[in-house]
Amino acid sequence: MDFANLASQLNAGTILPEGIVIVTLMVVLIVDLILGRTSARWIGYLAIAGLLAAIAALYFQWDNINPVAFSGGFNGDDLSIVFRGIIALSALVTILMSIRYVEQSGTALAEFIAILLTATLGGMFLSGASELVMIFISLESLSISSYLLTGYTKRDPRSNEAALKYLLIGASSTAVFLYGVSLLYGLSGGETELNAIASGIAAANISQSLGLVIALVFVIAGIGFKISAAPFHQWTPDVYEGAPTPVIAFLSVGSKAAGFALAIRLLTTVFPLVVDEWHFVFIALAVLSMILGNVVALAQTSMKRMLAYSSIAQAGFVMIGLIAGTEAGYASMIFYLLVYLFMNLCGFTCVILFSLRTGTDQIAEYSGLYQKDPLLTLGLSISLLSLGGIPPLAGFFGKIYLFWAGWQAGLYWLVLLGLVTSVVSIYYYIRVVKMMVVKEPHEMSDVVKNYPEVRWNLPGYRPLQVGLIVTLIATSIAGILSNPLFTLANNSVINTPMLQSAIVTNTRVSAVTEIKQVEGL
Amino acid sequence: MLSVLIWLPIFGAALIILLPSRLPANRIRLAAVSIAGITFLWNLLILFKFDVVNPGVQFAEYLPWNETLGLGYQLGADGLSMPMLALNSLLTTIAIYSSSRETERPRLFYSMMLLISGGVAGAFAAQNLLLFFLFYELELIPFYLLISIWGGEKRAYAGMKFLIYTAVSGALILATFLGTVWLTGASSFAYDSLSTQTLSTTLQIILLAGVVLGFGIKIPLVPFHTWLPDAYVEASAPVAIILGGVLAKLGTYGLLRFGIGMFPQAWSIFAPTMAIWGTVCVLYGSMAAIAQTDIKRMVAFSSIAHMGYVILASAAATPLALVGAVSQMVSHGLILALLFHLVGVVEDKVGTRELDKLNGLMSPVRGLPLTSAMLVLGGMASAGIPGMTGFISEFIVFQGSYSVFPLATLLCVVGTGLTAVYFVILLNRTCFGKLDNLAYYPKVEWHEKMPGIVLTALIIILGVQPTWLVRWSEPTTTAMVAAVPTIERVVTPKIALKE
Repeated sequence: MDFANLASQLNAGTILPEGIVIVTLMVVLIVDLILGRTSARWIGYLAIAGLLAAIAALYFQWDNINPVAFSGGFNGDDLSIVFRGIIALSALVTILMSIRYVEQSGTALAEFIAILLTATLGGMFLSGASELVMIFISLESLSISSYLLTGYTKRDPRSNEAALKYLLIGASSTAVFLYGVSLLYGLSGGETELNAIASGIAAANISQSLGLVIALVFVIAGIGFKISAAPFHQWTPDVYEGAPTPVIAFLSVGSKAAGFALAIRLLTTVFPLVVDEWHFVFIALAVLSMILGNVVALAQTSMKRMLAYSSIAQAGFVMIGLIAGTEAGYASMIFYLLVYLFMNLCGFTCVILFSLRTGTDQIAEYSGLYQKDPLLTLGLSISLLSLGGIPPLAGFFGKIYLFWAGWQAGLYWLVLLGLVTSVVSIYYYIRVVKMMVVKEPHEMSDVVKNYPEVRWNLPGYRPLQVGLIVTLIATSIAGILSNPLFTLANNSVINTPMLQSAIVTNTRVSAVTEIKQVEGL
Repeated sequence: MLSVLIWLPIFGAALIILLPSRLPANRIRLAAVSIAGITFLWNLLILFKFDVVNPGVQFAEYLPWNETLGLGYQLGADGLSMPMLALNSLLTTIAIYSSSRETERPRLFYSMMLLISGGVAGAFAAQNLLLFFLFYELELIPFYLLISIWGGEKRAYAGMKFLIYTAVSGALILATFLGTVWLTGASSFAYDSLSTQTLSTTLQIILLAGVVLGFGIKIPLVPFHTWLPDAYVEASAPVAIILGGVLAKLGTYGLLRFGIGMFPQAWSIFAPTMAIWGTVCVLYGSMAAIAQTDIKRMVAFSSIAHMGYVILASAAATPLALVGAVSQMVSHGLILALLFHLVGVVEDKVGTRELDKLNGLMSPVRGLPLTSAMLVLGGMASAGIPGMTGFISEFIVFQGSYSVFPLATLLCVVGTGLTAVYFVILLNRTCFGKLDNLAYYPKVEWHEKMPGIVLTALIIILGVQPTWLVRWSEPTTTAMVAAVPTIERVVTPKIALKE
């Protein structure tokens, strides 16, 4: 094999964004080794610059005519670009949040950023991975970094417990996933590349065999863990409560986006033959997630736990788009994840700010905050209302698009359930708004009575303020001015050949079933 | 033209929240009143430019917004929405004017009031289902805050109850809209592009049921009304004016526009049920009002009863009945606003709303003579005494509905009798009798009397000269009726409205 051929096979330019992230990661580590703690003042900005460069590189890769790289190991199509962008953005905002938080906890910032960037890298590779081993490696580098981040504040027993729990559940779900993957390898007669597996399974004519279904279920167990879908959600509340808050901001957005990217790629490419089965499983997951997430969130007293259950519920909403399986369905998923990025990170930034100033996460302690800190009250109110789907905020348009896509695909009951559970969700989101806005001065909590003076010029607060304001503005206007985001989401679906073929087969399959039904009648 | 009605208050709301916090409440109120007043004057201008004989949509505006969702910024006003728009901007101005000069947290209060005004105007003017829904849901949070921050003692409970009921109503409406658009295969949510004729009757009835339930919570129809007494009673007077005067109209407007307008065939099947339902509302509301001992609760239940007439009229769907429905919506808005304003004044001055504590307010020297005089007048207007707008609209409703549902109409006439009963109880206990010797009430200032005087004048003028009330909506409602297949009419004694 000559060199030119090899270079075109490798197509290494596709992973330029990830390359930039790796270089940033190395620089961060080395600078910290040389300069030690003194570098902590600006090392965060270095990482942010690196992530911005990675996002810029992603921008220039849009509509890449030759997206397949590394002999089929990585696919840099538009779908992966959108998801890599979401993950990089969520890491960026997470770094903005964590500069002060990590410093205050008395741990090193550089290592934190290095592990976070590794997790970002894992997520970004996972978004485009189209080969089983590649998928597994990127999934694990995301997972192991997440375990490390979860237990990062190691003097806190809750953080330790969360890390152990997360590791135990994560490792077993990875093992299950790996078992499913190995079954796929065997069923397809020894293929690891996703398209080859699909054709291998089709050629082996074992469609809907028991083995394929078992592989499907095992793979879904692995994915369900990452997106915290309902029966695989049990780690979420404990990890969210114990882990450092910036970490769960990343876990709730970046890690979840990576999980959905994996779900789309793996399920649409490898399992077109059992499309009804995985739709059925995901309908069950979505129903459970929406009901459980929204109902249990009602009873939470800690802000972080409440946001954990709300994120389970939001995953349920996003799954509607995945189940719809149409162009609009995938596009609505992407759009929702984009706006979810803004609103969730805005919410978490406010939670971090509040806990930095007061040291607590209890919802009851928020009462009367409007007097002491109006910006924080505004930010948290807007982000929570947006999560609840109140017009004209971004979340409203996101939910409308999801429900619209679901309804178009005929998922009436699922959409109705989504509507009903959204109503339920408004209750617990508004409860926090009520604490902050409605409570009278004399009902103010003790913590808010002793609220420190609002100052942004303390070290590490300025990036928090920037992150808060940017995400707040995005949450408020990304709904009204949503056309660019809609175009982005739609184009990323239209320009992705993998999804296009999946949608065609999907409609064909459903057309066939419809005809069968008609004949049956 | 119509955009100004929406965006002037909304931008005004943004402006007010950005005013410096050291400004006294009075100044902020002044700013809010001027914004609302300018909006109202603009509305009057539109009203004069409105072509009364044209049944179609006027002042149309269109901007493409989000084509993926089929959401366009599409506005327009016809005979159904024009009176509602005017009512909204008038009542907003009056409510803001009549709010207390020492309102706590004035910036938030007035910006929420203006935000609601803009949102309601948007909902009345929207010619796109999704746009309507967007504006409809926009009311949710501002009202929740208005009730639960500035309300009475049980405001937290009342606010949450209102929020949940309204959110459920929104969910039902959204489901119906999604269903309608998708099932008819329309490419966008534009109102004029929808035609449900192709749907099977069963589907139409299911969708219509969604509309009726969704808006029925807002109107409110009887089993879904339980949020209303709490919300009205706990809300402060200006909020109650907007809540009862405008927001309830959003429900009936939705029923007329999306119930009759979108599903005329299913409506003719549904009509008898609706007539019975409306009658139940009238009788239930009146009976429940008789049993109350709190003035505000009494007025709240009277509101349920008066919305029942609108239901009856829309069920009958004769040209006359629909004109009556629209006029009843306007009259009820004016009368309810007057009553809530006066009750607010009484509560403010006397310090109680209990019927067994109030007495002798008519007393010329130490009582509140003008306020109680207007209260008497408002009560009479509500009970349907000729010479005031309440009588006109109720009479048109009865006249229009009798030919279709004679029994239901007769029962509703009994309902007006009951209205008279509880208002006489109310007036007897509050205005008449002897004042306590210990009673020294603060004087009612002129500026506090003004809103009442304006509303009273309007109620009487429209009662004496009813053409000004009905002329706006006649062509539109006639066109709407033409689409509804004949509801099994019993006898049809033709009595023309005028000429």
